[in-house]
Amino acid sequence: MIPGLLILIAYQLVGELISYWLNWPIPGPVVGMLLLLASLRLGAVLWPRGWLVATETAGKALIDNLSLLFLPAGVGIFFLPDHIQAQWPAVLAAIVLATFISMVLCAILLRWLSRHHD
Amino acid sequence: MTERATGLLLIGATLLAYQLGLLLYRRAARRVWLHPLLTGTLLMALLLTALNISFAEYRQHTLLFDQLLGLATVALALPLHREFHHLKAFIGPVTVTVIFGGLVACATALGLAALAGGSHELLLALAPKSVTTPIALSIAEQLNANTGLTTGVVIFTGILGALMAPLAFRVTGLQDPRSQGLVLGINAHGVGTARAFETNPITGAFASLAMGLTGAFTALWLPATVQALTRGF
Repeated sequence: MIPGLLILIAYQLVGELISYWLNWPIPGPVVGMLLLLASLRLGAVLWPRGWLVATETAGKALIDNLSLLFLPAGVGIFFLPDHIQAQWPAVLAAIVLATFISMVLCAILLRWLSRHHD
Repeated sequence: MTERATGLLLIGATLLAYQLGLLLYRRAARRVWLHPLLTGTLLMALLLTALNISFAEYRQHTLLFDQLLGLATVALALPLHREFHHLKAFIGPVTVTVIFGGLVACATALGLAALAGGSHELLLALAPKSVTTPIALSIAEQLNANTGLTTGVVIFTGILGALMAPLAFRVTGLQDPRSQGLVLGINAHGVGTARAFETNPITGAFASLAMGLTGAFTALWLPATVQALTRGF
């Protein structure tokens, strides 16, 4: 567990530094994720074998409780400034209607693509 | 109460609110409108109001969760790596749909919200609405958007997306489990992925792939595009 957390922290730190130095719009954790994926794909893992298992353990614990990790930030929707609350029709249009339309469009595209894929 | 005691109380209350929400969700056969994020955030909001603690103060004491969220984002590389062979076999449709879906999810949200009279500030916060929360939060920070609003919007998009997905599949006749997973991951990120795993492991694998790819893709194009557009005005 601890080595796993160390690896995740190391990748995120490198990601943060790259994102900062190159002045990239991609957030540090995302750069870290892409770097970790690249390392795993290429088999270029410089740490001991057991540490990979520890990373899996730590990663699973975090991903299994992903919802909990964004709960505090999510509470914000109940404390919006008044001028945002006044725009509830726009918020609903984006969350409900736009999401449904986008799902339907993706589904139509996938049906078309699958027909040509298989 | 001391600072430390307040912090401890708020972290404990957050864990408790989530745990209560989780118990309720499991007892109610995982009905999506009882998702622990929905009930948990509501419980915390009620508690903060009752204790007369401001949201800003609550956030100061719960930054620990944000740090862990960053690590969880890095950890998303693990399921991506594990399911890589599935991805490879369906790489064409996955790539095309993730790019198309990532753009369309953002464009439809911005278009409809603008039509409904949304302000510039609201549109900024809505732009990353279909992206998995840690990435959406980073994008919102870069856009100088209201992160509390973005998180709320992202979470409710996920819940409603998972809720409406069966209807979208029926309307379009989409039955392939891989494709259903892609639609869920692209449009309803983590909540959709959790629902997809409950349907079928293949659907779940494709939802997590689509969630990660859509997040990475959107992080690549959205902040840069908005910065370029804003500079243009």
